[in-house]
Amino acid sequence: MATYAKPLSRPKPHTEEHEDPREMLMHDPLPRGKMNEMVMESMHETSWKFWGVTGFLVFVVLTCLVYAWYRLIMDGLGIAGVNRPVFWGIFLVDVVFWIGISHAGTFISAILRVLKVESRRPFTRAAELMTTFGLVQAGFSVFMHMGRVWLAYWMAPIPNERMIWPNFHSPLMWDFMAISTYLLCSTMYLFLPLIPDMAMARDRTQEGWLKTFYKILALGFRGTEGEWKNLTTAMNLFAFAIIPVMFSVHTIVSWDFAMASRPGWASTVFGPYFVIGALHSGMAAVAIVLFLLRSTMKHYKYFIRPEHFNTIGMLMFLVSMAWAYFYLNDYIVPWYGGNKWDKIVQEFAEKGPLAPLWYIMLFCNIVVPWAVLWNKKWRSTPWLLAITGFFINIGMWLERYIIIPEGLTINRMPFTWRLYFPGVEVALTIGMFALFFLLYMLASRIIPLIPVWEVQEGQESHMLRKIGKAEIPTLSDLE
Amino acid sequence: MSQSITLLAVFEGMEPAAEGIEKLHDLGLNDDEMNVISGIPVKGSILGRPSAITYVSRIGMFGAILGMSFGIFLIYGIPYLYPLLVGGQPIFPVPQGLIITFEMTMLGLMGFAFIGMFVDSGFPSYTPKEYVSEISDGKIAVLFSCPDNDQKKFVDVLIKSGAQSVAPAEARQL
Repeated sequence: MATYAKPLSRPKPHTEEHEDPREMLMHDPLPRGKMNEMVMESMHETSWKFWGVTGFLVFVVLTCLVYAWYRLIMDGLGIAGVNRPVFWGIFLVDVVFWIGISHAGTFISAILRVLKVESRRPFTRAAELMTTFGLVQAGFSVFMHMGRVWLAYWMAPIPNERMIWPNFHSPLMWDFMAISTYLLCSTMYLFLPLIPDMAMARDRTQEGWLKTFYKILALGFRGTEGEWKNLTTAMNLFAFAIIPVMFSVHTIVSWDFAMASRPGWASTVFGPYFVIGALHSGMAAVAIVLFLLRSTMKHYKYFIRPEHFNTIGMLMFLVSMAWAYFYLNDYIVPWYGGNKWDKIVQEFAEKGPLAPLWYIMLFCNIVVPWAVLWNKKWRSTPWLLAITGFFINIGMWLERYIIIPEGLTINRMPFTWRLYFPGVEVALTIGMFALFFLLYMLASRIIPLIPVWEVQEGQESHMLRKIGKAEIPTLSDLE
Repeated sequence: MSQSITLLAVFEGMEPAAEGIEKLHDLGLNDDEMNVISGIPVKGSILGRPSAITYVSRIGMFGAILGMSFGIFLIYGIPYLYPLLVGGQPIFPVPQGLIITFEMTMLGLMGFAFIGMFVDSGFPSYTPKEYVSEISDGKIAVLFSCPDNDQKKFVDVLIKSGAQSVAPAEARQL
């Protein structure tokens, strides 16, 4: 009996279907000294444009953040738009948004490290830095929301003559504990893999304050067997331990709302829904930051390549589908249940005066990512992925706006219904965005944003093996 | 009795370094008489060396226990000092206790692992050390002690096995 196979209907030439693995960073190694040189050069060579943008951001921070906060402190919360029934305005929207942004650093660095996803190597630090700076902004938003910020220490469990103690029954107190833990741990986690790169920078800086800076932060690291063992053990421990902390933080943030028996807020799905939302905005922010770094920093095109955007794009696609799934869960159960107040809240979002925000949110969070990210070529295109990330972040900010101030507009006492019009919060939000970018830009000049030793370690582990006619990338476990 | 001298051999990559270490073993040096300094972490078995010992995990676990104790104190100790009645909830609530205890446990675990890494590695240390800056450029260095009289023999063997340089190690300010 004759055996035959069905021929390919439209066979492609080999060149079309075969990607050259040498286009991948791990298979395109350079000597370590050369990579060190490239990273140091990218930090120290700055153009007038950089300082121009820095100057502009400093101006925005001084006017929109420093001066506006000063006015808020001097005049009181009355100059903000918060009033009955919306006492949680944009400040709280910003808190949730920035904590969401901060989740991406840990997600990319810790989860991808645990899962040994190799393409994470060049951009883990850029993402981790977002975590720290994002949490700083979230902290600022909380302090602004407090109004009398100088009394913030009342939240700390310290003995005092007033006998006022923190109430650990309150989700806000859990939130304080969780965010503090996350900020401390993620800062330590940022610092650990930075030590060898600080030592590299120390060795390559001759004199001046930068030499002292690197010398202090390198801690005397040389790279002995014991030092590496301690460092990698600590990094592995952090990678595993910080993941549940990350999940706990945004779950607890969601409980700030879900624990209140308000229509639209009291939802059992809020915990995972918020975590996915955080990852949605965080991953998108990583795409934007990587695009900006690649476009503006010298030599970064070698380190950050389309393959990395492809990895992030795939994660963004997956997370956007998960977000849609959780959103549907959060939407359909109250809708089907037919509770009067839930129905009013949903109709207010869909048909009320702020309905455009609801439709823009769905467009930005679902339509845009799904339209772009399914295609490998598109999601590997840096500028396109960055634009998609920009849309997602607009959508996610609006989602928090719809949940918090818009959700507070409608309650069980119709005589108190009132639309929220933000005041000084708008300036403060602009100021915080400017501060985030300013901190990031300044950090990019003194901190090696590419973990060179991790890149080299990855390149040592990878090799190409010829199987048949093709060269197949292979990975050895050197860790 | 002859005095010993500390030498620093620099190798281009892992293969010659592994061979050099093997030669040092053949010349009678024990593992605790040498140390490898590298720009990336290298598994002990790759270089034919035992794995380094670390106490970071144990210190971290100790921190986790301390953190958990502190969390329990916060959630159950503070209501003793200042009882707060929240509608329908006990003064010593278990669910809230789990949250605070979890956060403090993780903070203790990671905080102490971080400190443990410092303590176990002797960080920070700004005293002069045997080091060459080529190590952070990807070279691998082997630091070892040998009898002063045998210095030439050790140097020759290491150069033959691929060392780029073998020289008396000088402690220098990093």
